[in-house]
Order: sequence, then C-alpha cells, then structure tokens
Amino acid sequence: MSARDNILARVRRGLNLPGDVPGAERSEVLRAINDNARGPRPTYGWTDHAERFSLRSKMLSTTVDRVATLNDAPAAVVRYLNELKLPLNAVAWPALSAMPWSATGLGLEFRGAKDSDLVGITGAFCAIAETGSLMLLSGPDTPAAVSLLPETHIAILDVSRIVPGMEEAWTLLKSQQSAVPRAVNFISGPSRTADIEQTIIIGAHGPYRVHVILVG
Amino acid sequence: MRVGLFVTCLVDLMRPRIGFATLKLLQNSGCEVVVPEGQTCCGQPGFNSGDRESGRLLAQRFLKDFESFDYVVIPSGSCTGMIRHHYAQLFPADPALQKRINALSARTYELTQFLHTVLHIQNLHSSFKGNITYHDSCSGLRELGIKLQPRQLIGQVAGAQLREMEKPETCCGFGGAFSIKLGDIASRMADNKCQDVQASGADAIVGGDLGCLLNIEGRLRRMGDESTQVLHVAEVLVGPEALADLGED
Amino acid sequence: MLLTSFSFKSNVKKKLVDPVLQKNMKRFGGRFVIARAEVMKEVDNLEDIRVAAAAIRDGILANLDSYLITFEERAQARGTTVHWAETAQDVNRILIEIAKANGVRKIVKSKSMVSEESGLNDAVAAADMQVIETDLGEYILQLADEPPSHIIAPAIHKNVEEVAELFSKHHHTPRQTNIPALCREAREQLRPHFISADMGISGGNFLIAETGSVVIVTNEGNGRMVTTLPKIHVAITGIEKVLPTLNDLSTILRLLPRSATGQSITNYVSMLTGPKGADDVDGPEQSHIILVDSGRSRLLGTELQRALRCIRCGACMNHCPVYQNIGGHAYGWVYPGPIGAVLTPSYVGLKNALDLPQASTLCGACEVVCPVKIPLPELMRVLREQSFEQRLRPWSERFSIGVWRTMANHPRVYARFAQVAARLLHLMGGKKGLLHWLPGLDGWTDGRDMPAPTGKTFRELYAKRKS
Repeated sequence: MSARDNILARVRRGLNLPGDVPGAERSEVLRAINDNARGPRPTYGWTDHAERFSLRSKMLSTTVDRVATLNDAPAAVVRYLNELKLPLNAVAWPALSAMPWSATGLGLEFRGAKDSDLVGITGAFCAIAETGSLMLLSGPDTPAAVSLLPETHIAILDVSRIVPGMEEAWTLLKSQQSAVPRAVNFISGPSRTADIEQTIIIGAHGPYRVHVILVG
Repeated sequence: MRVGLFVTCLVDLMRPRIGFATLKLLQNSGCEVVVPEGQTCCGQPGFNSGDRESGRLLAQRFLKDFESFDYVVIPSGSCTGMIRHHYAQLFPADPALQKRINALSARTYELTQFLHTVLHIQNLHSSFKGNITYHDSCSGLRELGIKLQPRQLIGQVAGAQLREMEKPETCCGFGGAFSIKLGDIASRMADNKCQDVQASGADAIVGGDLGCLLNIEGRLRRMGDESTQVLHVAEVLVGPEALADLGED
Repeated sequence: MLLTSFSFKSNVKKKLVDPVLQKNMKRFGGRFVIARAEVMKEVDNLEDIRVAAAAIRDGILANLDSYLITFEERAQARGTTVHWAETAQDVNRILIEIAKANGVRKIVKSKSMVSEESGLNDAVAAADMQVIETDLGEYILQLADEPPSHIIAPAIHKNVEEVAELFSKHHHTPRQTNIPALCREAREQLRPHFISADMGISGGNFLIAETGSVVIVTNEGNGRMVTTLPKIHVAITGIEKVLPTLNDLSTILRLLPRSATGQSITNYVSMLTGPKGADDVDGPEQSHIILVDSGRSRLLGTELQRALRCIRCGACMNHCPVYQNIGGHAYGWVYPGPIGAVLTPSYVGLKNALDLPQASTLCGACEVVCPVKIPLPELMRVLREQSFEQRLRPWSERFSIGVWRTMANHPRVYARFAQVAARLLHLMGGKKGLLHWLPGLDGWTDGRDMPAPTGKTFRELYAKRKS
C-alpha cells in the first residue's frame, strides 16, 4: 500500500468511519464546499468603502492618493516619486501599458520584475475595505514579482473595485475568472518584520513603501 | 434558606478561621448554615493528577452530603469550579447521575458570588484599615467569572482601599500539585506575583482561594517581607471584631 | 529537531537562571499580549467568530479523508504534485528526491514548523545541498545553530546585541546594533540567494479543498519570494491543515493574525495554486505539496482530536505564565507552551515528554485566547490521565495519590489524620508559623516558606463549638 493509502486508512480508522474509502461522506463534503457558506464578521460600521479603505491602508503604513480619472494616474505616480526623491524609472505590469504614460517622462518597462528594479507599478484586481488590503492576481500581464522585488510598490486602483470584505473579493474573482490564478496575493502595506526584539521594522524582504492611487 | 457549607480541605487543615468567617457571613445574612460531617475534599488534587477515580469517589460523596440543601457555599473558586465544571464530566456513561450533579452544581456557589449575586448583600458592617490588592484566582476568574463580586463587596468594607496590582489576573503559580512537582517554576511565578503585590503599595493581598494565598504568603515571607498581610476575602468581609470573636482557641 | 522534552525539569532549571533569556522574556514577552488585546477591540463579535472557526475546523477533522482526497484531486488538476509523508523521516526523503531529480543545489526556505519536526535542514545539508532560512528570525537562528523557541517569533529569546554579534561574525561586516540597519543587512545578504536558488520551500498555513491551493500568511515577503522566484516550489504541511472553502479562509483570517501578532491582517496572504501557466512570466515551473501525517492521524477519534484544530497562532504560549518564565527551548521540541504540552507527547510519545502535560497550573489563560477554542487545560488533563493509567508517573506520586484517595473517602480517618498533621506542622512552624523545609515537599520549600497550620482543624473546632 502507498503512503497515501496508509494515511487515509489511518484517518478513517481513527474517525471510526466504515470501509476503506469514503462513500456518502464524500458527497457531503462536496456539498459543503459547494454551499460555500459565509461565516460571521464584525459589524461593518462604515458606508463609504473608499474612505474605509484609505483609513485602514494608512494604519498599515500604506500611503494613499486619489485622482479623478485613470488618465490622471500617471501624473500622480510622477508626483509621488518626485516627492520622495525616488528614481523615475520603473517596471510596470504589461496590463498597464495602454495608459497615457508618454507625457510623464517616466522610464517604464512593461515586463516581469528583476532584482535591480527599484520601483514597481501595478494595478489590483480589487481591494478590501475591511482591512485595507489590495488583492492582486498573477497572470501573463500581471506578473507577481512586480509588487514584490522593488523597494517601492505603486498600485493604481479604481474605487469601484473596493469591496467590503474578503468574501466579496472571492465572489468577484469567481464571477470574472474561470479559475483562481497561480497566485492570489493580498497585500496589506509594506513588508515588515518584528523578529528582532519584537520591534516592528517596515521593510523586510519586500517593498519598503506601498503607495495606492485611487481612481474615481 | 438552608445552606450547606463546604469548608474545603485546605481551610480545614490550615486556616479554620476562614471557615468560621464564612459561616458567620452566611449566618449574618440570615442563612441557616449546616456543615455536613462527611465532607473531606472536592477531589481536585487527584483529578488534576490524572486519577479520575478519586474524582468520581469524591464527587459522589459530595452529592450525598450536599444534595439536600437549597444552596452550597464554598470559600474557594477552585473547588467550586471543580464541582460546577468537572463533576458531571466524570460520569459520561451515567446521564441520571449527571442530571443530579448538574442540578446540585447549579446551586453551588463560591462565597463572594453567593453574597453578591444570590444574597445581594449591600451593607457588610465590616471595617479594615489599609490598602488592599486583590488577586484573581484562576478558576474563580475563568471558570466562574468572578471579578467584580469580591471588589464590590470589599467596597462595602469601611476603610478598605482597593489598589489594583499590575496583573491581578496572572496565575500566582500555585496550581495544586504543580506547586510541588514543578516547584522551580511555581516559585518564580509566585515571585512575579509578590513583586506586583509589593509594587501596588497594598498593606494586604486578598484573594478567594487559600491555595494561592499560601503560595503567595510563602514566597513573600521567603523574600523577607513580613509586613504584607495575606488574607482570605472572607476574613476581610467579616471584619476584625467578628474575627477576634471566632476564637480558634 | 533534537528532542529534549524528557529532560524538561533540568531544562527549566537552566532557563530560570539564564540571565539573558530571563531579561529578554521580560522585555519582549508581553508585547504580543498587549497587541492582541488592543486589536481584538475591533471585533465586536469575537465569540461568534471563534465559535464559527472552531466549527469549521471540527467539520474538516470529522471528514478529514474526504477533504484530503478532494484537495488532492483539485491540486493535481492544477498541476501540483501531491506527496504523502507518513513520518517525519519521509518528509526529508521525499524532499531530497525531488531536489536530486532536478539537480537542485541551493534551496531558500520560508518558515515551516513541520520541517522542524523532521530536522529537514540537517538532512538536506547531509545530502550536499545548501538550504538557507529566509524568515529573519529563522535566519538568525540558523546562524546561531539553534532551534526556534516560538512558533511565530522564533528568535524571541535573542536580543539585538546577540543578533549584532552573529551578523558581524557570519557576514564579516562591522558590528551594528541598530535594528532597522540589521534588517537591511539581512535583506541584502538574502536577496542574492532568492534570485539564485533552484528550489523554494514553504510551510502551508492552510490547504483549500475548494481550489486545491496552499495559503501562506506572512509579513516579511520572504514567503512570496520562495514561492515565486525559484523554479521549484515545495510546500510542506500537516494533513490537518485543510479548510473547505475560500469563505472559510476569510473567517479564519479574521482570527489568525489578530491572535498571533496582534495585526488585523498580515502584510501578505498568498494563495498559491499550481505551477506557472504557459504565458506567465513568473512563478515556479513545478509545484509540490508534501502532506505530513507523522502522528496526527493517531489523535483522530480521541479526546485529543481537538488539538488538531490548531491554526498555529501562538497565542496560548504568549499568554502562558509558565512559558513566559521559561521560554520555548525548555519544552524541548518544535511546539512550546500549552499547545506543545499537548502535541509533543502526542507526536513523540508520552513517555518521552512526560512532564509537559504537568507543566501547567491549568490556569486557563490559554483556553481563553485560543481562536479555535481548544480546551487546552482539559487536554493536558487527558494526558495526565493517560500517564497515570499507564503507570508512567513516578511510584511515589502514584502511591501518595492512592493513600490520599483512600483517606479522603473515609472521613473519620481523614479527620483524625488532619488533626494530627495540623498539630504537628503547627509545632514545627514555631513562633513565626512558617516551615522552611518539609520532607518530601522540597519542591515547595526550595523557593517558598510553607505557612504552618494554626493548630486545630476546622471540623475539630466546629464540633467543640456545637457541643
């Protein structure tokens, strides 16, 4: 017998379930998965998702800017980089290549990220008001490492994509994608560690800065 | 109202005056108090050491001795917790017995719970001179939810000032046999507790469980602190005159 | 990991007099407690969520085989290779086989407590491959050649001076004690390894049956690195870590970071499903999951099954007054604190960790904070019962319990004995009423005086008064 069969048999024996392989329980389990019940959550005491998202983001040390239209976002990116005296070269998601970047004078490359990239620009699939988290899906036009390797991560997000909680994010994902992508990353502020003396330090292996530009 | 008093093994052996203080407090409130002779111990020492059989024997004994009373009162959160939360578990195969135990458990109260929640005592006619810091014993706090009751009652004692220590809810390290089996850790935990007690500036550390109090007193004295009084809450609530009158000898 | 749980008592003696450890535990130990209490104020229905979370975990355990089969099917459908390890040794063997088959030379690793169970790093090193821990705490300990002392803050027992020493010695850099600078130094040391490694190993906080995914909950970003950059990703996790659905994950995530570090949410929650697609520009080419039993299935169907609800937040140890005083190493294996006192004897054998279930006053602080409501004191008591029934406890302990039990069940004998003891001990206590030493009770009197009885028992005085 294989290790797999041994383990599963031990599990069944332990649980006192009849036979060697699951029968009716298997369909019960599949039904429970399909039912996909939602659990309790804390009272959501806000009405404006964008406002809540911004508030929670700031608590996570994410900075937030807001512009009226998507065409205003490139200028907001430059403004942010200039303010912090950060390099004007960046790697960006290929998915963002159609935006009006040319007038900004930014040196942009639309590709996956390399170790030497200092600024990464991404969109987000959606964001979560409850926690101030961005939800990013990996894909050919949305490579995962752009939000990870550079020291600065800038994300552009339409306010209509801010959902109340994680459950709504999953519902949105299922309604718009045929399957979950290779990587779903919920990003909640710049990377951090408290492994030395329980002291919170912003900037561990991932970005030191996360800046969100809300659109709309 | 007929009240059965379960004195506890530690009070019986070590500090009978806590038993008499409890008796007096109940009588002062108009209870008819009976102390059944057959009582020994709630069974916790054996139960927590892994000997279920001793738990079962003593649970049955307790049932026999106390089932006839309107209420049972115990000057210990730990013994009360044992009875309320663990007795019924000891007889998983005997639902009839469980039912009787549950009915009795529901009438079984720790002293301050009983005075506060059942008797609604508003005026104790007691006095104390000095600052008191209250240690929340673990079972009382976490199994029975005892927190405000003793403080509210101490608030009725003329002259008693409550001064909370830094971590009143942290275990003192007693834990029954733990205090001997793992005495090194127990002593360190008691030491932490004593430092918090001393830092509170209290003249007396007061609690509802004699086990914890012996542990704390033992550490205080070993540290060379002979002045901080260590008192059971019953002693404080009954007051100095009544205490003197209890006359242990 | 080298097991020293059988020498718990002597471990404790050493830890209680280790001045650096004692100072570090006092300075840092309480911070998680404060942070958790603060962040829980955000949750107005904490108890509802705890009840729901416990029910989710119980539901999985009750049909664990069906959930595992479903998870496996869906993970395989996405191109993940699922391996099954019956023992800790099997984990090492499987991992080394995957590595050898792919010519792996360098491995970067994010935190995996399961890999500590099997001593994976040593096995990999013995197979001539380099493995580098990348979680900052684990990295510090790899340099120090020490095991973790906490499941989420592995280097909590170390202070900045000790870290500075280690970095300077191993990196050949000037010694610095500025914490942000030390973090930057670790980042710069480890970045080239992330880029050049052939394999990434991670743990798995959860497996999602609905999607065949593994979820990791992290802060530093190293977990994302090791699951994104190397061409092979291997996740190692226990068979009990399944969750049915993404909605269940959402419920549990309201508790895990809050209970663990006092964060509303961790910086990263990453859900990984299969290897990269044909058009993807990043992600591993191979995705493997090793599902580990190694003693877990033995708990199913027993009273201890509830310990398998555990989501490894560490709140029980953070709030444990015993842990706070002795630190994690004293427990002598991977999982310290109350959950360790239950899991260690269960996984390595009760007789090899006999004192761990005794290492608690049963104060209940752990149970109150456990996000999945594991009745830890009750489970420790269950293990004490097993020790007693299997006659594993010392003869003297069993004998005294036997004598006590018989007496306590015979009130007249008991009363007589108490009377004699009260008198004798009272006399021994002298004027101050304190016993400085008592035969057989030196466990108490080594560190505390024993207040003496006042001389007569309650029942004696009561009988006299009544008559």
